[in-house]
Amino acid sequence: MDIFAQLVLGALNGLVWGFILALIALGLTLVFGLLEIINISHGELYMLGAVLGWYVLQFTGNFWVALILAPLAVGVLGLVIERGVLRPIEGKPIITIIATFGLSLIFQQAVLTGFGGAPQRIPAPFEWDLTILGFGYSGYRFFVALCSIVAISALWGFLRRFKYGMWMRAVRQDREMSLALGIPISRVYMLTFGLGSGLAALGGILAAPIVALEFRMGLDILPAVFIVVIIGGLGSLEGSLLAALLIGELEGLTSVFVTPTTARIFSLVFMSAVLLFRPEGLLGRRR
Amino acid sequence: MSGRILAFWAAVAVLVVLPRALTPYQLSVAAEIMIWGLFAMAFDLLYGYTGMLSFGQAIFFGAGGYGTAFAVLRLDWGIWEALAFGLVAAAAFALAVGFFAVRVSGHYFLILTITFSVITVLVLQSGHWRWLSRGYAASPFTPPLVPLGPWRISLIDPLANYYWVLAFVVVSFLLCWRIVNSPLGKVFRGIRENEERSRLIGYHVERFKLIAFVLGGLFSGLAGALLALTLRYVDISYFELTLSGKAVAWTVIGGAGTLVGAFLGALVFIVSTDYLSSWTINVPLSIGLLLVVMVAVAPDGLIGVVRGKRRG
Repeated sequence: MDIFAQLVLGALNGLVWGFILALIALGLTLVFGLLEIINISHGELYMLGAVLGWYVLQFTGNFWVALILAPLAVGVLGLVIERGVLRPIEGKPIITIIATFGLSLIFQQAVLTGFGGAPQRIPAPFEWDLTILGFGYSGYRFFVALCSIVAISALWGFLRRFKYGMWMRAVRQDREMSLALGIPISRVYMLTFGLGSGLAALGGILAAPIVALEFRMGLDILPAVFIVVIIGGLGSLEGSLLAALLIGELEGLTSVFVTPTTARIFSLVFMSAVLLFRPEGLLGRRR
Repeated sequence: MSGRILAFWAAVAVLVVLPRALTPYQLSVAAEIMIWGLFAMAFDLLYGYTGMLSFGQAIFFGAGGYGTAFAVLRLDWGIWEALAFGLVAAAAFALAVGFFAVRVSGHYFLILTITFSVITVLVLQSGHWRWLSRGYAASPFTPPLVPLGPWRISLIDPLANYYWVLAFVVVSFLLCWRIVNSPLGKVFRGIRENEERSRLIGYHVERFKLIAFVLGGLFSGLAGALLALTLRYVDISYFELTLSGKAVAWTVIGGAGTLVGAFLGALVFIVSTDYLSSWTINVPLSIGLLLVVMVAVAPDGLIGVVRGKRRG
């Protein structure tokens, strides 16, 4: 394979990975924008999406059922977490962060106990290769990108057109005023956390046929997602989307020449540079 | 004030005579609790006094442990030189990470420290650093003898190691106490209360935050070095995010901004998780469960509970 074809392959991989990152980062940003908490267990919700998907697949043998059920289940789990764990300590950001760290430990260890420590794989639901520049490229990866685009568009539509979506944007803009206008803020918070969790899990089940499933996979994705939200600007949905695609491409293209870990270091360097010259992120509001 | 000083020396006296009542196994557990308390106290210096919520302290803990082990294993250095090497390594890492981290605050700072921490582990386990770290495989080593006057003391003896750790912990505690009650400590607290105002008064906020960050890194590194000498091996777990999280948990549960709270939190947590995990659940799981319960029950920490009772 010549270098040009390799670069095209790297760019494609980067694009797909960027869309998966975007789903997860959007979930994190959505939650941060409203609840003003950094959810350290967000990576574990991504992991749970993939692992629950694996269980559903074992049970039903149907990937499409898993694709629907896993994000739904994790979304419901998110609702429960917000109501049961985070609501009682609302308004104490540090304590909340520590609680989400506790949750991440619980999820990791629960999966380690139930699922085991050995990595598992999920086969792609269909075998269909595209031929690009003389080499085959997995059609499933295109499907992942497509799925993400659909999900992200749906999220945008939801935030613009639906009652709860518009409530979310309202609460995000002005909490007091929303309260005065009679928006049920607690319910909006709960739904936002559930939606954010579901997005992470959707990223997890979509990535499942591409990566190895194990209890530590949340820790693998966490730095990438954090780099994305910092580069994009905390709380900026558009920024997260843009930064996810940028980081996906950066890591995809550099992985042609260096190991994935070194590619991750490039992202870190990129993030540090953004912090030095534009601390509020690419599309973040100036603080 | 004098009551506190009295309480401090009484606690030290208890710790000095405590080994008479403990088995060798309990001695090593006690030494470990003191080391974890020291680690948590280093975090308290950052968070409780300067307001920087760092989830990256394991980087410096690991650098201290690895630096010390490296100097012993590869350079064949004596105990003091090895310890100094570990501390310099920890301070260097703190300076490098701090250079970026102190420019941001709040959630950005938290995210930045987590990111640096997780990527450090990624790099160490990836094989680039195989010559130094051996990934998940442990690097065992024998601690050099401690020259003390005419004697050569071996740290393999739990009793000697206990007193060795105790000495460092007491000195570190006094140093930290001195720092937080000095003019420097007042600046730290000013930054914690209001960064903008401190800047307007004329303090170079980034520089003071960097000082606090490197100090925190140094004490974390010391804790890492002491643990390496106690366990007589280093592996990648010294760097893991979970460790940083534990320091946060112990400090906040014990009571942030008190120095003592860090030790109290470590003591209560380690003893209770040890007890809980004897009931078949594993240690990280019980830590997670305890955390989620504790933050709901006592959000101001154990010290807060004690002080609240006294006031009310």
